[in-house]
Amino acid sequence: MKKTVLIVIAVLAVIVVAAHYADKATRLSPKGASTRADNPNGAGKPAPDVTLKDLDGKDVNLGQYKGKVVLVNFWATWCDPCRVEIPWLIEMQQKYGAKGFTVLGVAMDDEGKSVVAPFIQKERFDVNGSKSPMNYPIVLGNDAIADKFGGLLGYPTSVLISRDGKQIKRITGLISYEEISKTIESQL
Amino acid sequence: MRLAAAVVAGGLLLIVVAAMPSRPQIPSGREVVSAAAYVSSDPVARGSSFQVAVVMKIRNGFHVNAREKSADYLIAADLRAEVPAGFKAGDVSYPKGELRIFSFSKKPLNVYEDQVILRWELSALANAPLGAQHIPLKLRYQACSHEVCLPPVTQDVDATLNVTATANASRPAHPELFPAQR
Repeated sequence: MKKTVLIVIAVLAVIVVAAHYADKATRLSPKGASTRADNPNGAGKPAPDVTLKDLDGKDVNLGQYKGKVVLVNFWATWCDPCRVEIPWLIEMQQKYGAKGFTVLGVAMDDEGKSVVAPFIQKERFDVNGSKSPMNYPIVLGNDAIADKFGGLLGYPTSVLISRDGKQIKRITGLISYEEISKTIESQL
Repeated sequence: MRLAAAVVAGGLLLIVVAAMPSRPQIPSGREVVSAAAYVSSDPVARGSSFQVAVVMKIRNGFHVNAREKSADYLIAADLRAEVPAGFKAGDVSYPKGELRIFSFSKKPLNVYEDQVILRWELSALANAPLGAQHIPLKLRYQACSHEVCLPPVTQDVDATLNVTATANASRPAHPELFPAQR
């Protein structure tokens, strides 16, 4: 009888602990980028086979980046936290671009090219004291593309893809520069 | 002993249920704001002016950009309508926002939080259709939490009113929203 009670307690304790950590992993804290939601959904799964249009109207297939580590960054011109990340992404592209890494910016503005193209052309971002344009490929996204990535809860959302085309990490909200850099370096 | 085991198991089961992850933590843009429209008179007399108040209730932990946005690229709160024949629309007055600093912004942003009221001046013309009328409003906003921004949303909000031929029966309505008419 005592044994049964102990087993019940042990099983329930495991469930409690597991539920606690599962909840913590998906919870958005009210403040602080360092506690953004790291969503493990999709981790280890193959990246979706998607074809997007670049700003010249040319097809860009995600598969063409196979062999590179790719940080797919869903953003929009009206999204303030997305703008905070852009200088970090420019810096990552500068730092790791020659080592087999690229950022792929997926612009999710409803108006598409008409707002994204002028933004790319005009905006300059402060990267270590110098004004830099966005130096990584930009493509136009939509809800169908987002759905292929499992749907987006908000912007920015970043998905890191390994050289062999597997999703490694998915972050909803601001990325942590240090953390994502470490993960990128571990993949290069 | 059996009773003790049942009590312990029951207690732990309650803890498990309480600790289980609840629904998704990030709502959609549509879920962040609930909006309803109220009319200042009931009924509204032909040839009179009235107000429509749109009450935006914004979910705790989220904000929407105020009408006076802090940067050109932001999407401001916006109320529009195709006013039906027999009515004339005046200006919408938007409340002032609150300047708030968020973890993602270097400078304060002018935003709406909690509850705000947008007010629209309208007139029922002499030829306004009598009886129950609807003014379909479109409320556009873009919401963010401290960490993530949601796509812009346009919500349909319906202002319903009853139009009468004369002012005799017209009474102020919703004094909590239209205090000037008390």
